[in-house]
Amino acid sequence: MKGITQVIAVELKLIIRDPMSGFFALAFPAIMMWVKLRTGKPLPGGLPVVDATVPMLSIFVIGLAGLVVLPATLAQYRERRVLKRLRATPASPAMLFGAQWAAHMLLAALGTVLLIIIGLAAFGLSAPANAAGVLLAWILGALSLGAIGLLIGALVPTGRTATVIGLSVFFPMVFVSGAMIPRETTSGAMRAIGDLTPMAPVVEAIRAAWEGNAISPVTLGVMVAMFIIAGGVAVKAFRW
Amino acid sequence: MTVIEIDGLTKSYKAGKAVDGVSVRVERGEIFGIAGPNGAGKTTVVECASGLRRRDGGTLRVLGLDPEGDRRELLQRIGVQLQEAALPDAIKVGEALRMYASFYDKPADWRKLMEEWGLTDKRRARFASLSGGWKQRLFIALALVGNPEVVFLDELTTGLDPAARRMTWELIRDMRDRGITVVLVTHFMDEAEALCDRIAIIDQGRVIAEGSPRELIAKGRSASLDDAYFALTGRELG
Ligand SMILES: Nc1ncnc2c1ncn2[C@@H]1O[C@H](COP(=O)(O)OP(=O)(O)OP(=O)(O)O)[C@@H](O)[C@H]1O
Ligand SMILES: [Mg+2]
Repeated sequence: MKGITQVIAVELKLIIRDPMSGFFALAFPAIMMWVKLRTGKPLPGGLPVVDATVPMLSIFVIGLAGLVVLPATLAQYRERRVLKRLRATPASPAMLFGAQWAAHMLLAALGTVLLIIIGLAAFGLSAPANAAGVLLAWILGALSLGAIGLLIGALVPTGRTATVIGLSVFFPMVFVSGAMIPRETTSGAMRAIGDLTPMAPVVEAIRAAWEGNAISPVTLGVMVAMFIIAGGVAVKAFRW
Repeated sequence: MTVIEIDGLTKSYKAGKAVDGVSVRVERGEIFGIAGPNGAGKTTVVECASGLRRRDGGTLRVLGLDPEGDRRELLQRIGVQLQEAALPDAIKVGEALRMYASFYDKPADWRKLMEEWGLTDKRRARFASLSGGWKQRLFIALALVGNPEVVFLDELTTGLDPAARRMTWELIRDMRDRGITVVLVTHFMDEAEALCDRIAIIDQGRVIAEGSPRELIAKGRSASLDDAYFALTGRELG
């Protein structure tokens, strides 16, 4: 793992220097929150909308960083032969994967913190009932969705293709899994479809922990399993 | 001492044979040139020797190591400048050097290297904003950042203006004077003549001539290495 802190630091700077990823991971979710909360009445069941929206949009941010930006970065590096140059150094693919994951998840963490600050300052967000649980679920969500992003980035030849694939995985998923529309307000059929996506356990776990409900061990297990399977296949399938 | 031993190297791509039985030896501390027409197989030889490509056949030893089997160990001890490679557009010169240095067990002092290669004034410049010559300088510095014993340079001076080319020659001589073995792929015969202790001319995946510049000139019964190149490869313009 030599050099991993260096690569994380440099990659994070590179991500932030790109105005597009900065906008979509940091500004866009904040704007969405503002639009949603301007006119919010409580959800069925009485939960203030903000207490659902902030956890939900934190998953939107993880998904965007992990499923869209991360694969695009890796594939663009392949296309532009940045990976080829790295291959001529002792840097290992596992280290580069780990560093890319970490840098993109730091972006997601920034986005999440921003949402929390705006939520607290402007919309009366309640603090999470189980902060440790939120953190655990957030990290497992980042690992599982990030591993799927690494898998896409490991295989796709060009940045453009990776963006198209990333967006076509990400967008349907955020809509049906309850990361944009609260699960309480969607139809049973949509929830059933959403539950089949890898984002659903992340939404369930983070929201449960935020509201102080018990986190289902199944959701945690599914996230761990997805991380191990997608991550393992990504490392195996990786092409420089 | 022999640093690179290549024996009967073969490599085919889908389209056919790219390297067809190349054998060369490179001694410690020399500047060894590889010349030959486009598509001759030069880059393929260099990429096999630096562990970037799998060979189909033949034996290969670099610093006594097998570039495939002992890849990790070898990569700690060689430096590479590739014909086709890049850095991310937005990375800054200083960041690239510092990050690449962190990959090695015993790296060079990257700040000193940056100073030596005249890059200090550019340390905050983004890669995409550098002109071709500055990019090449950065690539040389990156090839040296791991304190290598052997450096492979593939068409290092292509695209440089004459002054930058001359300056690069000085820097390559400098590397040799520090005891680094240099393998230099080039299309410029004046460059090969000025720098190389020995040269292999490769055509259609085979070594068709090998020797010091003087030996090759004699072999081609020519007045200059340039003429000898055409005589030996049998290619003439017009
Ligand atoms: N990745 C590849 N896939 C398929 N064919 C390749 C690949 N790389 C090289 N070739 C082919 O192998 C042959 C040798 O290529 P190589 O790049 O080694 O030549 P070269 O001597 O370095 O040429 P140049 O002077 O143009 O750099 C060429 O016919 C080339 O088209
Ligand atoms: Mg070449």
